[in-house]
Amino acid sequence: MAAYIARRLSATLVVMAIVGVIVFLLLHAAPGSPAAIIAGDNATPAQIALINHELGLDRPLVVQFGIWAWRVVRGQFGTSIFSGVPVMDLVEQRLPATVSLSLVTIAFAATIAVIAGVFAAWRAGGLLDQVLMGIAALGFSVPVFVVGYLLIYLFAITLHWLPVQGYVPLSRGLGSWLAHLVLPGTALGLAYLALIARITRASMLEVLSEDYIRTARAKGASPLSQLFGHALRNAGVPIATVIGIGIALLISGVVLTETVFNIPGIGRLTVDAITNRDYPIIQGVMVIFSGVYVLINLMVDLSYTLIDPRIRR
Amino acid sequence: MPTSRRAVLATALAGTLALPAIRSPRAAGPVTLRAVMQGDLRSFDPVWTTANISAYYGAMVYDTLFGVDDQYKPQPQMVDQWSLSDDKKIYTFHLRDGLAWQDNTPVTAADCVASIRRWAVRNSGGQAIMARAADLSAKDDRTIVLRMKEPFGLVLTALATCTTPICFIMPKKDAETDPFQQVSGRIGSGPFTFNQGQTQPGSRYVFDKWDKYVPRKDKASGLAGGKVVYLDQVIWENIADQQTAAAALNAGEIDFYELPPLDLLPQIQSNPDIKLQVMNPTGYVGEARMNCLHPPFDKVKARLAMLYLIDQKAILNATFGDPKYYHPSPSIFGYGTPMSNDANTAWFKQAPDPAKAKQLFQESGYKGEKVIVLQATDFAFMNNSAQLIAGWLQGIGVNAELAAMNWGEVITRRASMNPDDQGGWDIFVTYGGGFDFSNPITLIALAANGKKGWFGWPEDAEYEALRTQWAEAATEVEQKSIAEKMQARAWDFGLMAMLGSWTQPAAMRKTVDGFLTNPDVVPFWNVTRT
Amino acid sequence: MSDVAILPIAAEVRRHGLRRLFQRHPTMVIGGTVIAAMVLLALAAPLFAPNPLSMNPMHRLRPPSGVHWFGTDPLGRDVFARTVYGARISLFVGLTVALGGVAGGLVFGLLCGFYRRIDAMVMRLMDGLMAIPSILLAIALVSLWQGGVPVVILAILIPELPRDVRLVRSIVLGVRERPYVEAAIAGGARTSKILRRHILPSTIAPLTVQGTYVCASAILVEAGLSFLGAGIPPSIPTWGNMIAGSELYLALAPWTIFCPGIALAILVLAVNLFGDGLRDWLDPRFAR
Repeated sequence: MAAYIARRLSATLVVMAIVGVIVFLLLHAAPGSPAAIIAGDNATPAQIALINHELGLDRPLVVQFGIWAWRVVRGQFGTSIFSGVPVMDLVEQRLPATVSLSLVTIAFAATIAVIAGVFAAWRAGGLLDQVLMGIAALGFSVPVFVVGYLLIYLFAITLHWLPVQGYVPLSRGLGSWLAHLVLPGTALGLAYLALIARITRASMLEVLSEDYIRTARAKGASPLSQLFGHALRNAGVPIATVIGIGIALLISGVVLTETVFNIPGIGRLTVDAITNRDYPIIQGVMVIFSGVYVLINLMVDLSYTLIDPRIRR
Repeated sequence: MPTSRRAVLATALAGTLALPAIRSPRAAGPVTLRAVMQGDLRSFDPVWTTANISAYYGAMVYDTLFGVDDQYKPQPQMVDQWSLSDDKKIYTFHLRDGLAWQDNTPVTAADCVASIRRWAVRNSGGQAIMARAADLSAKDDRTIVLRMKEPFGLVLTALATCTTPICFIMPKKDAETDPFQQVSGRIGSGPFTFNQGQTQPGSRYVFDKWDKYVPRKDKASGLAGGKVVYLDQVIWENIADQQTAAAALNAGEIDFYELPPLDLLPQIQSNPDIKLQVMNPTGYVGEARMNCLHPPFDKVKARLAMLYLIDQKAILNATFGDPKYYHPSPSIFGYGTPMSNDANTAWFKQAPDPAKAKQLFQESGYKGEKVIVLQATDFAFMNNSAQLIAGWLQGIGVNAELAAMNWGEVITRRASMNPDDQGGWDIFVTYGGGFDFSNPITLIALAANGKKGWFGWPEDAEYEALRTQWAEAATEVEQKSIAEKMQARAWDFGLMAMLGSWTQPAAMRKTVDGFLTNPDVVPFWNVTRT
Repeated sequence: MSDVAILPIAAEVRRHGLRRLFQRHPTMVIGGTVIAAMVLLALAAPLFAPNPLSMNPMHRLRPPSGVHWFGTDPLGRDVFARTVYGARISLFVGLTVALGGVAGGLVFGLLCGFYRRIDAMVMRLMDGLMAIPSILLAIALVSLWQGGVPVVILAILIPELPRDVRLVRSIVLGVRERPYVEAAIAGGARTSKILRRHILPSTIAPLTVQGTYVCASAILVEAGLSFLGAGIPPSIPTWGNMIAGSELYLALAPWTIFCPGIALAILVLAVNLFGDGLRDWLDPRFAR
């Protein structure tokens, strides 16, 4: 087990390195550079070239990459070209908002989705199943930002139940924190919820036809116990997989949600950095994100052994 | 929206938990004002960039030697006494008491001299001063002496200018930074300190009242007078989404929204707790700059064709929707400014006249060359106007092509003097403060000195001669007369195309009061929040 | 996924007719019909829809009327025309990305499944690509290479490829282990014959289903990119940039958002339902 984890962790580092190379090539191979934007309105080409030189952008690509990679390995992600603030500081500032939003979304979506999927599978073919799956299909057909605007219009502007925008840190109160995350979490979680519900249903259907379920029923187990005690555990592996895959979807959706609801998270930080060609931020965030993504996948894989003892590596 | 019972319950629960938080968003204690300003604060060097938002930052953190009052007249600010020699060539400025940097060191004349020199490199009014200056130096710690080669009536106007970049006074070590690189310091001598600890770049910018600032005794007016601060903290929230910002204002989560889109005004105004105030009575003026270096706009007739092609009412209505707030205007000096006039504007009564425009294009020898129209998709005015202009050009058979990009890329590309196929351009749209258009010396867009001038690079010796005359005019009456001759000439050689003028009110909660009107800066002193 | 070949499906339709098909797989037929209807409308657009590009700022934000069936947008353009023409782009983007994903997945998946060394290299690259959040990668690609339809399509396709490659690869690996395939390889059969006879048939069904999901996702991603300002330039109407350009008018002129928004939802829903139905049809265990 320990060896397995060690192997997976080293694979994580490899992936992060690859991401670093991909992103670096992407940025530097493309036309344009931050120098022109930094130089400002009335700069001459000579001034732009000077700034280019000072940023070290006129050195050979391999050299630039080498310098950057060497610093990253030592934990220094550089400073933002535009604000002069270290990348890690910016990430730290923005991290709590994105993490809060993601956690609330996953908790809400996963819980409701699994329950809905289980019941849909139980009553497969019936009205409940069709209605639930119909709603689920709608859930990931409408874009996040449209859902977001509708929710704001209904719950914040018309009914005044919830705040319109912004993020309040947990330290300022649980109620405030949660209130600011309900609408964005719902908007973001809808597509996610739909996906998990469908996979849960599919997975449960496979399992429910198995013999051991009939045995449990014959032995007098209640429907709830059959569903959640026996079937769900066995169906757990694909469900856990899709929760893991969903994290990737989530990160994409987070960018849109943060824009609509004005949440100062990492998604928006990166989008702004891309527009400004603020290379250190883009490179740093992409590498960090990729590391997080791979680690989450590792945890999902490890969770398989918890859910289904038959899987052992 | 599909919700399960559980979700509804959770929402309701969260709602009740949050109610106290929503009803009183801020507890009693220090008075904080939350504002959404016109854009994100990308540069902290208001001399290096012309971006207005950086000038707002400058006004918070820095101070100026002179400032314009609400009649646009220069008034002393950091200066308490000043004198001009009888031959009108020597200016002596004496700094007032109590001026200090926010790190508690005193402000000296040497700081001021260095700051003026640096600013003069970037500002055309400053360039005009230094071109005619024999010497600028600090006589002692509190006295600055400016010796001119010949009398120049615009010295104070230029030093007091609120057209960016503004002459903010910075500590000597910052002011000695190359004018084409940004300063790294954030210490000024102004009424607010920049709270770097609480600031999150891209998201929010925090300013604290600086208790040691000594305001002048006179009444605040424009950027002049006593800068008395009644707020403890000002926070600029960067809410990029305009709908969200308007909704936040409605809900009381922010107090001030500088430029709500005009389409949202009815929705905002219907809230009895919100009031509107026009911060900038001279409004804004739109312009379409043509690239005079390359075909087709290297020919005068092609440029004049644009005057007949553009329908200012359509341009203005597309973005602003309510005729109450916009004015089509043919003057190169904006609408309602001291220099506005209607010399040589017969074309305006005829426009839009696509047939005439087409005829002029043909007479200019147009051979079907591509016309690249830069389209800044992130600014509604630029975005809409570019599309309209390209559409009209295509309608008269011109090979117009839109190049969609964000504003940052537009300002990069417009600097290129190359032809189209090497990354050049033919038309770009921009706008400026209406008041700025009243001064052809400080506003570089009104120059016609070719490649030394502003993007588009129009060139006309006769116009330039008139412009120099304007700079040397002794009275405002004389200035106005020269302005008419300038405009007449401008509309003969096609300096640029005007897109009309508009005003845009700010929206704020009724608990906020005291905002001073000013053409280019939104000051936060004198503002109260109850 | 099962490895049912396409032939029996066609046989079934021939035998029982379309009505039976509808009874047994309603979602697929409904989805397919809606898609077909949209394609027809989109193609026939010039015949019945007004000019989607002509601007008339003095008539901006008019509600739906006899003259403008879906009203006008902030620049006075006809929303109905733009919605219909917007379908072209959405369908084109969706279809092209789906085809690209299927083709790319097939090529790389087969290569990886068969050749160990290529597998190692390509899969590491795919892992790296999958680890980068797709929308950020797409925005970066569009920003850096100046958007236009081909760039946007590539930007949506590239983050999507790893999933398709993995799918094909896992099928190939699974099929390779079957006794008769191992026997065929051991017996010296040519690779191309193995591919044709055993492997390809197993990939068709799952890839087709995956293709529909890729199509639906691509349409949504394009809308998202437009919303963030990194999509197809606004001079070409797409549902995404119509919604993005009208976000201020949610309360004032909701038709500017809801007409493209509902069209978008309907198309994506139809594609998803079609994919669901297709999958149910091709995998007998989930049939009702």
